[in-house]
Amino acid sequence: MYIPRPFKHDPIDGHFDIFGGRYVPETLMPALLELEEAYYKIRFDEEFWSEVHYYLNDYVGRPSPLYYAQNLSDELGAKIYLKREDLNHTGAHKVNSVIAQAILAKRLGKSKVIAETGAGQHGVATATIAALLGLECEIFMGAKDVHRQELNVFRMKLLGAKVHAVQSGSKTLKDAMNDAIRHWVSNARDTFYIIGTVAGPHPYPLMVRDFQAIIGYEAKSQILHKESRLPDRVIACIGGGSNAIGMFAHFLDESEVECIGIEAGGLGVESSKHGASLLKGRPGVLHGQLSYLLQDSDGQILEAHSISAGLDYPGIGPEHAYHKEKKSVRYDNVTDQEALDAFVWLSRSEGIIPAFESSHAVAYLKKIPDIKEQLIIVNLSGRGDKDMMQAKDLLDFT
Amino acid sequence: MDKKLVAYVTAGLYGSDFTTDLALKLAQSGTDIIELGVPFSDPVADGEVIQRASHLALQQGVQFADVLDITSAISLKVDTLLMGYFNPFYQYGVPALLSKLSSIGSSGLIIPDLPHEESRRYGEIFEQHNLANITFVAPTDTDRRIETIVRDAKKFIYLVAYAGITGSAKSERLDQSIESIRRHSNTPIYVGFGVNEKSAKSKAEGVDGVIVGSAFVSVLLRDDLSLSAKIDKCAQISQNIKEKINS
Repeated sequence: MYIPRPFKHDPIDGHFDIFGGRYVPETLMPALLELEEAYYKIRFDEEFWSEVHYYLNDYVGRPSPLYYAQNLSDELGAKIYLKREDLNHTGAHKVNSVIAQAILAKRLGKSKVIAETGAGQHGVATATIAALLGLECEIFMGAKDVHRQELNVFRMKLLGAKVHAVQSGSKTLKDAMNDAIRHWVSNARDTFYIIGTVAGPHPYPLMVRDFQAIIGYEAKSQILHKESRLPDRVIACIGGGSNAIGMFAHFLDESEVECIGIEAGGLGVESSKHGASLLKGRPGVLHGQLSYLLQDSDGQILEAHSISAGLDYPGIGPEHAYHKEKKSVRYDNVTDQEALDAFVWLSRSEGIIPAFESSHAVAYLKKIPDIKEQLIIVNLSGRGDKDMMQAKDLLDFT
Repeated sequence: MDKKLVAYVTAGLYGSDFTTDLALKLAQSGTDIIELGVPFSDPVADGEVIQRASHLALQQGVQFADVLDITSAISLKVDTLLMGYFNPFYQYGVPALLSKLSSIGSSGLIIPDLPHEESRRYGEIFEQHNLANITFVAPTDTDRRIETIVRDAKKFIYLVAYAGITGSAKSERLDQSIESIRRHSNTPIYVGFGVNEKSAKSKAEGVDGVIVGSAFVSVLLRDDLSLSAKIDKCAQISQNIKEKINS
């Protein structure tokens, strides 16, 4: 059974060096301190984790397979494995963390949960678990995304959640998170905020990393079992960065493994339309944390752009900012077009339709110059069902 | 001793001269302290009114340098604080900003997203420049937490009137919070959030002053008033509130 262990990259007093922290209105501080205390109490607790595992195994379908992608491997002259988070119930890695957070919410006596969502995957996962555990659920989603991801909005409503279409600002993920925080400030006493990624105020980045690190924990034992050695590289896409941190957590200590995080290059990182916060941003404060941010010289937050709603965010989890500065993870990016090409490539070579987000990680396989003979794991964080409507508009197969 | 009125206005909205005129007029109409609100793209502690004003100001091209110019223009005539989210201050650089503020005569900062845990590392620089970093207390805070966070409070303590965002009609009983603050600090307590002409009298009960934001800013956003009429209307509200809290 996976249970987190103390880790050399754990935050100290809520901070990963200068990054992270708790930059929130005072009204939320008691709730955050209560959550931190509660989390540290159960972080290594077998009883808590066996409850989480019951759902992860029997409800989500873990462990997710580590699949040897024979056709990709032949084409590239390398050994490519895909960690199949796309096969989880609800279609992505998000559910790993949602289950654990919802169980924690219940333990804290909170009867209501809220969540922000971009592509809708985190919203659907939260609505699903809320239905399962009998929690009242409200989802905040930018009005633009509500329109782009109509089907996921319907799924959330079907599951019994209330969906707020956020009309402020750029009407995307950033604004959804603003409104979720506003709602939380107003209802902190009975409401638990289920954050979708390794971002937000402490203890969320730590907690969500621990919950997602089951990905890397499984992948490591699976690759050792299949190949009797560690991979040369592990690759994951990064919006907020939870699937990447979840995968990297168990490989960061292995000096022979290179962890590579792929940001959204959008229309190109030299344009103003991308989501490459680490490459093009600088440290700043948003949504409760200090991390890399896309911003102007006055500190106003800029709008991000990506073909994938899940990567369309101007910030990034603080632990990634820390790994960037420590150079413990290598970061690169992939454009909308490269991701879209990879979306088709994986569909046709392996019969697996990846989410647009995960397509960024897959696309990077074609950008590694010395890939021959290498053993590589790509984290396939989600499936592409949710992207069908958008893909239909972008691709012409006549 | 009379109860104080602090007025929040979105800085730079309709131009620096407008804010300057407005601030000086408010100061002649019962306002004791001006809070210049620094426009920010993502104001998570604010309700709709201040959000709209903040975005409008940014659309009009207001920059942080303009806010500093306004500060210099008024702070010798009226007690002036800058109120804003931490990121713009952080980008300017906290030490550089504090030395600038002290040279232009501002009394300090109010930062709604910089709680005690994050602000204490800057305590010494505020001290050096003799500037206040206003302490917030929320109705969700326990006595133990209040004891910790009010220890170094300067100028006044900003007591948030309810768990929520600015400009809401919510209200909560604050007696326990007030009692607890008084036990641990002699710094005056001003209540903010949801204070308007109607609620001012009751919100001021048991405290030393009120902070009014959305009530002024909603006047600034009215389409049916000319710029000078907006100033007159705000001045009238300021006068009324000052009288009500001291009646």
